Amino acid sequence: MKIAMIGWEYPPFKVGGLGTHCYGLTNGLADKNVHVDFYMPKTKYKVKSDKSNLNIIEVGEAEIYPYDIVDDKEIGGKIFDAIKRYNELLLKRVKGNYDLIHCHDWLTMEAAVQLKEKMGIPLVLTVHSTEYDRSGWLHPNQWFIDHERWGMQHADRIIAVSEFTKRVVVDKYGIPESKITVVHNAVYPIGESEKQNVVLFLGRLTIQKGPEFFLKAAKKVLEYEDAKFVVAGVGDMLPKLIEQAVHMGISNKVIFTGALTEDEVRHIYKISSVYVMPSVSEPFGITALEAISAGTPTIVSKSAGVSEVLKSVFKVDFWDTDEMANKIIAILRYEPLRDHMGQSSKREVQLFTWDRVAERTIAVYRGIA
Amino acid sequence: MPSICFYFQVHQPVRLNRFSVFNIGNQEEPFFTYFDHSLNKKIFEKVANKCYLPTNKLLLELIRKYDGRFRISFSLTGTFVEYCERYLPNVLDSFKDLFKTGAVDLIDETYFHSLSGLYDDLEEFEDQVKMHRQMIKRIFNYKPKVFRNTEAIYDNRIARKVSEMGYKGILTEGAEKILGWRSPNFVYKALNSPLKVLMRNYKLSDDVGFRFSARNWPGYPLTADKYANWMSNSFGDVINLFMDYETFGEHQWTETGIFEFLRHLPGEVFKHDCLDFATVSEAVERYNAVDEVDVPWAISWADEDRNVSTWLGNNMQIACFNELKDIGRKLKKKKNMDLLYVWRLLQTSDHLYYMSTKGFEDGAVHAYFSPYDIPYDGFINYMNILQDLKDKVDAR
Repeated sequence: MKIAMIGWEYPPFKVGGLGTHCYGLTNGLADKNVHVDFYMPKTKYKVKSDKSNLNIIEVGEAEIYPYDIVDDKEIGGKIFDAIKRYNELLLKRVKGNYDLIHCHDWLTMEAAVQLKEKMGIPLVLTVHSTEYDRSGWLHPNQWFIDHERWGMQHADRIIAVSEFTKRVVVDKYGIPESKITVVHNAVYPIGESEKQNVVLFLGRLTIQKGPEFFLKAAKKVLEYEDAKFVVAGVGDMLPKLIEQAVHMGISNKVIFTGALTEDEVRHIYKISSVYVMPSVSEPFGITALEAISAGTPTIVSKSAGVSEVLKSVFKVDFWDTDEMANKIIAILRYEPLRDHMGQSSKREVQLFTWDRVAERTIAVYRGIA
Repeated sequence: MPSICFYFQVHQPVRLNRFSVFNIGNQEEPFFTYFDHSLNKKIFEKVANKCYLPTNKLLLELIRKYDGRFRISFSLTGTFVEYCERYLPNVLDSFKDLFKTGAVDLIDETYFHSLSGLYDDLEEFEDQVKMHRQMIKRIFNYKPKVFRNTEAIYDNRIARKVSEMGYKGILTEGAEKILGWRSPNFVYKALNSPLKVLMRNYKLSDDVGFRFSARNWPGYPLTADKYANWMSNSFGDVINLFMDYETFGEHQWTETGIFEFLRHLPGEVFKHDCLDFATVSEAVERYNAVDEVDVPWAISWADEDRNVSTWLGNNMQIACFNELKDIGRKLKKKKNMDLLYVWRLLQTSDHLYYMSTKGFEDGAVHAYFSPYDIPYDGFINYMNILQDLKDKVDAR
């Protein structure tokens, strides 16, 4: 079986779970003797594969940072231009004897749908997030919604990263349930090291990820228990969050790390005592699997897809910072709880392998190709 | 001719309020902040209407119908009786009516359904047993001859203490690791003691308690005549059927046919000349002990393990248990009756049961009975309360 997969991020160039997913999935597929050509924009990093049946093909000149779209029309315009150019280049560059096309989220839909029609082969679309998620369900942009719906309608099969996302695709986009398969994400084991008194937030600093709720909980925790609160990641909310921490009088306890390398990310997971994922909307939440894999007890938002599949985590409403603080303090304070949760959730997460993701994705392929 | 020995445990714990770390150190009265009185009242009333009242009524009818030949035994925990007295005195009246028939025996246990039998010394255990004894004396004007510890927890040390306190018999689990090749259908005696031991026939007991409505069980559907047939084919002196009273109408809902099963059971049993019913006191008096049981490590009737790992199986449970014991040591010196009572309510084994993280199969049973989403919530809540109580004990 030969697949043309179209993405836009791939480690080491990576801004979110989509890149992690593409890396795990393509390698998992290659290990199962599926031939994958992975198309992505050209980046300043060297992106390479060491497998003979997995080719990384870089297309065009521009790096695309799709999550940086802010109010700035000029930057926004540039990104749209870059995306448009990327899609146009894809139409020329994607050639070969493929059994199907597999694309991820809205950004490459344009090219993927046209290629499907030109080449007369089926299209699989994986939905990692929707406009509703990215906007935190506050002011979703109708253009994106329409574009996403158009892509979903043209795909032959849709893979959703959680039951939660499947529901959104059915309810908000009017796609029939029968077309959608849920494949939950996975994690490469991270391993453990000595824990420090650190409570961690890790993710894009955007409204979707709820970093301001993390700071509110931090403020409450610090009235009872001493700890360092690490906010790892970059995003449009960074200046506002720094200001918020100062305003709350906890800036000496909060560390903003900025962008981290992969090694730094693994290190911070390993030394943290609590991981908090207070996302307003989270289709899956691979970072929770990563933190748990590093033996870190984890608190996730009830609305996160990952909460469907894990038992040994705390699930709180993202806005309920009292309860979040209550749980953080308990984990910091009570060693038997910390130990038990850490070990027990880690055992659960060991079942989430990319091999399994690849296996389920192949089952979707076999249904149409 | 085996005697069927029916024993029902009647118990309701006093469930806790949600108590976050922010509540620790408040100035309120623990009795009102620690316990969720409205939830407890609601659950008690629900179970009373689904189980206690209809089952008591049915049992009374059956005892009258068979002229006292249908005989049963109960233990009522102190927390259960307090619920009755506070919310539904007619439930307690219906137990009194049953007792007055003379076909019903009562069994003593620890007043608070506690794990005090596992403490380093048995002083608190003895206190709670005496409290229970006084309660039964006050309500039923009766002095039980047989004892059953919380969840049938039993070891040699507990047996010796129970014997010293004047009991003639004790109930526990017919655990294979203790009995070996021996059958639970005989009366045994405790190690180096005259105390007689009735061992639960867990297969026949769980056929009713757990498997009654399990459609994938080969015995399904369990009818009274089938069950009476199984018992008539049993060998031995006694068939000890020990179970939660809430089996009737609560664990097994009315729709499963559990009440119809119970209604027809005595009649089906009496079709077999080899079978009759006996209360626990009668079983202890009637049959000689055939052998001694040596139980150096505690057994219980809970879960597949039939030991105390249900309550003390992980470090969270052990940390809470140790904290609870520490608080008790301080409290005993203070003579503060209000805090002592609250501490005792916290000793009810259910609080630790909710923190059990045992495997999926047992875990599913635990989840059914737990007011918490996950065991970790149970731990945090209980541990927070213990921290608050510790502060208050130090302060007063």
